[in-house]
Amino acid sequence: MEDFRFKKSWLSALVLLTFLVLAACSSDEEGGASEEGEAAEDPDTITAWAWDPNFNIAALETAKESYDGDVELDVIENAQDDIVSKLNTGLSSGTMKGMPNIVLIEDQRAQSFLQSYPEAFFPIDDYINPEDFASYKLAPTSLDDKQYGLPFDTGVTGLFFRTDYLEEAGYTMEDLTDITWEEYIEIGQDVKETTGKDMISLDPNDLGLIRVMIQSAGAWYVDEEGTNVNIEGNEPLRKAFENYKAMMEADFVKANSDWSQFIASFNSGDVATVPSGNWIGASIEAEESQAGDWAVAPIPRLDMEGAVNASNQGGSSFYVLNVPGKEKAAEFLGQTFGENEEFYQDLVNDVGAIGTYTPASDGEAYQTENEFFGGQSLISDFSTWVEDIPSVNYGMHTYSIEDILAAEMQNYLKGKSLDDAFADAQAQAEAQLK
Amino acid sequence: MKKLISVIHHNNLFIKMFLVMVISIISVSLLITFSTIRMSNNLFMETFSITNTKVLNQIKQQFESFSYSVVVTSMEVENNATIKRMLTEEYVSSVDASTSFYSIKEQMEKLYADRPNEANMIILGENERLFNMKYMNWSVTGDDLINHRITKNAEEHPNQILYQFVSGGEITNGSPMVVATKALTERSSNNIYGYLYIPIRELDLRGFYDDYTSQGNSVMLVNGSGKIISSDDESYIGQDSPELLALAKETEEQRLEYQEANVFGKDQLLLTSALPALDLYIVNLVDQELVINNLVNTKEIALISTVIVLLALVVVFIISRRVTNSISRLVKQISNMAKYDFSKPVEESGGYEARKIAHAFNYMLNELQEHVDVLMKAQRKQRKSELEALQHQINPHFLYNTLTSVKLLVKDGKKEAAFETIDALIPLLQNALGNVDETITVEQEAANIQNYVLINQTRYGDRIKVNSLISPDCLHYHLPKLVIQPFIENAFFHAFTEKKKGFIQILIAQRNDKLVCEVIDTGDGMRLDKIESKGKRQLFSGIGVRNVHERIQLLFGEDYGVEISSELKKGTKVKIILPLLDENAKYITKSKNSTKERLSEGGNF
Repeated sequence: MEDFRFKKSWLSALVLLTFLVLAACSSDEEGGASEEGEAAEDPDTITAWAWDPNFNIAALETAKESYDGDVELDVIENAQDDIVSKLNTGLSSGTMKGMPNIVLIEDQRAQSFLQSYPEAFFPIDDYINPEDFASYKLAPTSLDDKQYGLPFDTGVTGLFFRTDYLEEAGYTMEDLTDITWEEYIEIGQDVKETTGKDMISLDPNDLGLIRVMIQSAGAWYVDEEGTNVNIEGNEPLRKAFENYKAMMEADFVKANSDWSQFIASFNSGDVATVPSGNWIGASIEAEESQAGDWAVAPIPRLDMEGAVNASNQGGSSFYVLNVPGKEKAAEFLGQTFGENEEFYQDLVNDVGAIGTYTPASDGEAYQTENEFFGGQSLISDFSTWVEDIPSVNYGMHTYSIEDILAAEMQNYLKGKSLDDAFADAQAQAEAQLK
Repeated sequence: MKKLISVIHHNNLFIKMFLVMVISIISVSLLITFSTIRMSNNLFMETFSITNTKVLNQIKQQFESFSYSVVVTSMEVENNATIKRMLTEEYVSSVDASTSFYSIKEQMEKLYADRPNEANMIILGENERLFNMKYMNWSVTGDDLINHRITKNAEEHPNQILYQFVSGGEITNGSPMVVATKALTERSSNNIYGYLYIPIRELDLRGFYDDYTSQGNSVMLVNGSGKIISSDDESYIGQDSPELLALAKETEEQRLEYQEANVFGKDQLLLTSALPALDLYIVNLVDQELVINNLVNTKEIALISTVIVLLALVVVFIISRRVTNSISRLVKQISNMAKYDFSKPVEESGGYEARKIAHAFNYMLNELQEHVDVLMKAQRKQRKSELEALQHQINPHFLYNTLTSVKLLVKDGKKEAAFETIDALIPLLQNALGNVDETITVEQEAANIQNYVLINQTRYGDRIKVNSLISPDCLHYHLPKLVIQPFIENAFFHAFTEKKKGFIQILIAQRNDKLVCEVIDTGDGMRLDKIESKGKRQLFSGIGVRNVHERIQLLFGEDYGVEISSELKKGTKVKIILPLLDENAKYITKSKNSTKERLSEGGNF
């Protein structure tokens, strides 16, 4: 009996030992997996979404270098369309998970986000002085007197033109400075006649030129409130449409159907002028064989009261989302884009981006003469024009209205009366946006 | 070396047992381990191939719906009169161009809206008029496209939708893509008026199957010429792999569920599904080693079985050591017993079996001892009665001779001497007739000897003188009867045949806790092998010299007895060694019962 007990204890000791060993074997698997799931209150790393590695992402990287704060900035590249759809899905579901701290939004879309999800954005009035920025940038980036966006680049427009072609037709820089669109069309006809070159390349699906025209007169597709469709009785818009049709009828428009064809139209030397935002400069300079053949004049204006020879096309601003780390993000933006003049000089030199921070325009880099454009002080000129850009409220529905207008434009070109076209567009837009 | 051999020899049983155990434990656990791993591998492969076949079917469906939508789109584009007109029309003015550009885009927009996936749509017309729905994905120019091989191929096969691979870098901005091409032909004249391209970036194509892949479980698309046009492992994209195509074809043609093959230097499980409409094979490669290693933790199983083996070995070692040790000890004890002492019981220790054996052995030993004791007792009894008979058998010749001597003494008128002789004979007879076990004091024995000597001297004269020297401290000790007398008798009748005169010395003393009696004669001496007396007639009783020794040993044990030393012409010396016996120890004789007593203390079953 005694021995039996002894054996039993042996057995149980053995079993115990075996279990211990087995348990030790299998316990390596766990652990190590429980590290995530801890979103710190105030992360050391802030993330930013932007879309152009050569432009706005490069600008953020430059900002990161000039910033002294102890913050790690992680810039993530996303296509602009993706940013828009991600923001829409994320913000409309009410969850801020996976959202960045800083996001770049095009000015013409900004209001739709700010008005739809005001809670999702963090006002940055405490971090910047809005008056330091070009006034036209403030309307689209603010809401209810709160500044949400930090104005980044300007879309200030200019009339890029081939000096050689225009000279051939007998025009100089002076003849193109501070002209109206009517004068532009006349010049275009002369150019076409003498050189055989088209004056301009346009994508019939994109009414960018119309927008440039109407903003120079301080008008938009919507009224000053930004909410009511303003087509019928919109005098600048009417003038713009008339000018557009006049260009078509003058037969100096080269049609393009996408961006690459647009670029090709001037890189190949097929068109004489490119009225566009200043950002097109980089694409023009890409064709090195045309160095010295280009110059930039102020954008033509509509022939009406209050119209100026300055407008805007495109341009975007940074927004801080209301997620943990927002203060750090706002601080980062405030101390770089918000007040650092040095940094703006770097931005011009390294990235070629013209900011809308007015104190920076006195800097040295802004005075640089551009050899490609025949020694013109391009950036200085642009920053001068920036100050003249009339401020407009883009409202929330720029692109939806434009689709309707593009269709009506076709009808108008085919002979529909402008009154009818506008009336139809107004009705359709109101129906659609209600 | 010798030591080692002896160790091996001693542990022979243990070594044998342990070796057998070790070999069987190891082989059993090895077999179980291997068969477990093999079984789980097989099971895994089975289920894996089933699920992967399903997955492949799902991927295939995605591709089929894609190719279906390509077919539908291309038919719609071809049937779209607006597109056809706008592509073929000559533009005369900017307004015309603008209008036609707008309408084509509008039409494409309508068609494109149905497209479920990331595919792009490009229409190329004459004069390099190019309409691109997603120039972000592929910002190609008409110039590049019209001269590209995919357009040439489309031109050669105008009625077919061709899926062509354009590797990254050529004109695609570094992102490889698959382009479905179709020449747009006029039905009546077979005249090509444009081309439709439905490019899908490899990146987006990967989305069809990417969710199903994991490390070691990859999917790739192989086109009809053996080029890998899409893969979740980007390094394979664009590679030519005719072997893979051959394997895929073989699997498909033989309708194998899966096939094991060495692809890209690894043992892989290859599953495939054909997309004849796209001239593609979807190939699913499962890296057996990697996937199985992830799933079946061979290391852990091996570790567990090693640990179990080691534990079992330790346990087996200890247990068999215990068993064999006790058995070896038993064997050693038993084999030593034959050499030394039979009466010593073996130690009952060790395992149950060993203790049982030892117990049984001891029991047997006990019984044997008992039996031997009984036997010896009987023998002793028999001997005793023999001796008794001999003792009682007073030689009639002695009596006759003595009585004759007495008669002659009386006749000669030596009354005194006759009286003395008779007086000596009486106690002598009295003594001889008592119990053989009875002892008498040394004093009495001395008297007896004196009487005997007197009788003999009466008969034969006193030419042989007898002196006795008895230590006074010995007088009270007891000794058996008729122990000394036979030697005196012997000396009288045999020691003095040549020498006619001499002495017989009797010495009795105590030495080393023993009573030593010596009978020394100065006679002829003798050869020790011829002790036996010849003339029986002269003997007093049946007790002779020889059985004195026997009797003493019978009574007191082997430590006691008679030693005889003799030298021819010089005499004989007899030494009788006896224990010191007190009166109360009269009947003590050496007993061998002690063994039995000791044994019975042990086991009690």
